[in-house]
Amino acid sequence: MDSDILDLPRMRRERYTRLLAEMERRGVGAAMLIIPGNVAYAGGARNVMADGDRAGLERNVVVAVKGQSAPHLFTAYPEGAPPELPADHIHPPLYPDLEEGVRAMANAVRDAAGTRLNEGLAIDEYTAAMYTALPRLLADVRIADAAPMLQAARICKTADEIECIRRAQRINELAMYDVQPQARPGVRQNELMGLFLRRIFELGATANVVDPIWQPMAPALAWGPHTVNGDIAFPLTSTDRILRDGDVLWVDTGIVYNGYASDFGRTWLVSHRPRPSARQRDQFKRWCEVRDAVLERVKPGTTGRALTQAATAAAGGRRPWMSHLYLIHGIGADSAEMPLIGSNLGEEFDDSIVLGPGMVLVLEPAVWEEGHAGYRAEVIAAVTETGYRDLTDYSYFPYE
Amino acid sequence: MSELYTARNPGTMAHEFGGPIDFERMRRARRARCLAEMERRQIDALITGRDGNGRYLTGARRLWMGGGHGFGPSCVLVRETGELFLLSTWDDGIPPEIPADHLYALSFNPMTTIERIKQLAPLARARRIGVDSISPLFEGLIRAAAPNAELVDGEAALRAARRIKTPDELQCIRTACAIAEAALSASIDALRPGIREADLLGVFEQRMAAFNVTAPAVEGTFCATPRNADRSQVPPVRLLPGQRSINEGDLVALSSGVLYAGYEGSVGRTWPCMGPGSEIKPAQRALFHRWMRLWDALRAQLRAGNNGAALRQAYADAGEPLPPFPIANGVGMGWEPPLIGTALGAEADAGAILEPGMVLSVAGYVWQQGVGGYLSRETVAITPDGCELMTHLGYGPLAET
Repeated sequence: MDSDILDLPRMRRERYTRLLAEMERRGVGAAMLIIPGNVAYAGGARNVMADGDRAGLERNVVVAVKGQSAPHLFTAYPEGAPPELPADHIHPPLYPDLEEGVRAMANAVRDAAGTRLNEGLAIDEYTAAMYTALPRLLADVRIADAAPMLQAARICKTADEIECIRRAQRINELAMYDVQPQARPGVRQNELMGLFLRRIFELGATANVVDPIWQPMAPALAWGPHTVNGDIAFPLTSTDRILRDGDVLWVDTGIVYNGYASDFGRTWLVSHRPRPSARQRDQFKRWCEVRDAVLERVKPGTTGRALTQAATAAAGGRRPWMSHLYLIHGIGADSAEMPLIGSNLGEEFDDSIVLGPGMVLVLEPAVWEEGHAGYRAEVIAAVTETGYRDLTDYSYFPYE
Repeated sequence: MSELYTARNPGTMAHEFGGPIDFERMRRARRARCLAEMERRQIDALITGRDGNGRYLTGARRLWMGGGHGFGPSCVLVRETGELFLLSTWDDGIPPEIPADHLYALSFNPMTTIERIKQLAPLARARRIGVDSISPLFEGLIRAAAPNAELVDGEAALRAARRIKTPDELQCIRTACAIAEAALSASIDALRPGIREADLLGVFEQRMAAFNVTAPAVEGTFCATPRNADRSQVPPVRLLPGQRSINEGDLVALSSGVLYAGYEGSVGRTWPCMGPGSEIKPAQRALFHRWMRLWDALRAQLRAGNNGAALRQAYADAGEPLPPFPIANGVGMGWEPPLIGTALGAEADAGAILEPGMVLSVAGYVWQQGVGGYLSRETVAITPDGCELMTHLGYGPLAET
């Protein structure tokens, strides 16, 4: 695979084909999607990145219909539609968060899907207005849950999708070369954020997708904040907190490039001349042992549970990740998506996950030493036919 | 007057002495409004998944995620007791009136989440549960957890509560507008031939962050307006910034917003990109005057008792076609209904009655073949006797005579 080649029309075509195959397999004639990640996947359109309420009111909607060569896109941002999408598949926005919008939506889906509606319509989520009005407006249509289809279509990525994730990650990492040297005594979290955001846009990011985290870790859990599960309080929202000399900083950010998320995780030290102590170096060494034990097993056929077991064994029998998060999450049109491994979905669920080519895994183990904080970083591994490809390329300075 | 003006533009250090915003009072007032709406609609419990609703109900500062996300029950309000239960694994960013034992942990297992909510909130007794959105999976789980309850529209109750702002909320929006204007000014200062649109967005975001704002309301528009169009019925506009370079003479639409304490302040202006020796062209000035006529017509309609159709009519009266985006929308914790001037039509606009205490973001747009466009966005509070213009930023060289 030539890593530099990115063919966006091919990517969108292959995704749409996968979605139609899943619809076929589950016996529905059409799918109407409103969740942003699903809409981005099926429609391939850009809209403006906004806070949740505006994003909801102005949301793109996609209707995919069996037997049709392209999806229908309903958008307030027609300039963001894929250039190859036929003009008669680009429609005005539907506003499904409004009562009047839901009436328009019911008509639109009938127009777009025609008799295919007789085979059932998959929906991924209801706005309150949809929930109230659609059962009546589409009383003759069998409604199915679209979530399983989208999950199945999205879990393994095409070469172009992986290239988008790699580029998103690269932009994110390149921005950090400017930010990390500023992690000096007295800098505020919001200042690091401002520099980071400016750089990602200069470097070609489509959007920022999550509040960037620059969290100084208290040495012991007892220092707070209080957690309901007794685990590490991470990730905490950034403020204007002043970072102090010697702070152990857990950094976690995610941006978007052409609809795909990045996920950057590293541990930094706030200092003019960051020099980890022997104890901190040892924490990093133990983190590397966990990382390597997991990566060694990343190949088709390995189960999620085999990975959590390998991680736990490498950490000396202690679970090296946070119980409210996971050891591994997938990444794609959402910054955290299936497969989730080591989450509270449980061991049986982890056992049911079998790695396959095209899955993209974000490993985020954390080594914690009560009283002395810990080390956390993230690695993105794209599963290949024989093993994996590392999509991350940023140094572990100052620990390395 | 000067005292009032200072109180309305306090900066952030004023809060050391209490300042003009009483955040605790603001949260209490919001919860009371929600409970009153629940009472009126006989909703026993509200289960919300949307970020704005969660913030409105609780005031909690949780991790900002751009673009919204799929439904998960992240906040529960029980009418009988007024108790709030909140998805948060920790008490950081949680207002003191919400006790730690009312928090439940982040979970990827929907069954675990619902089990925990069932332990905390008396769902089994509920007859009517309001939801602000719902997924097929959670619909089944909530029905099973609350077998006696009917699931109803909770979003309508929240919208009714959120529509009219308290004085504290208005002050948050004024502060957000001031920050948005500071950030937009930085982008305006950076505007020169050769700068890329994405760079202007980057400058905005960095300046925004300098005010301790860590979440934008929208990444916004930083685009040269198109000078030519082929066959479009609607005025052409570009809203999504990209890697394009700005040219001398472009009319550049700059419009964005920030969140302060969850509240949106938005502002939009159009600025000419000037090179050394550049002068404003008469056609550009004429376009600005067209925009002024439009804005005067819009502003005259911004008063209590009017409805959204009056704003649509203002475009018609000024002889301007409607742009391909809402000409006004409600503002509070981000965008709120109504959306005015959309493809949903004049009838939908007529149902949107302006009331004192509502805040609107109002967009003006005029376009001229061969010249470009002028885009503006103003934040306006409806008052008992007219409106308060919350955006103060000037209009730059186009407005100079």
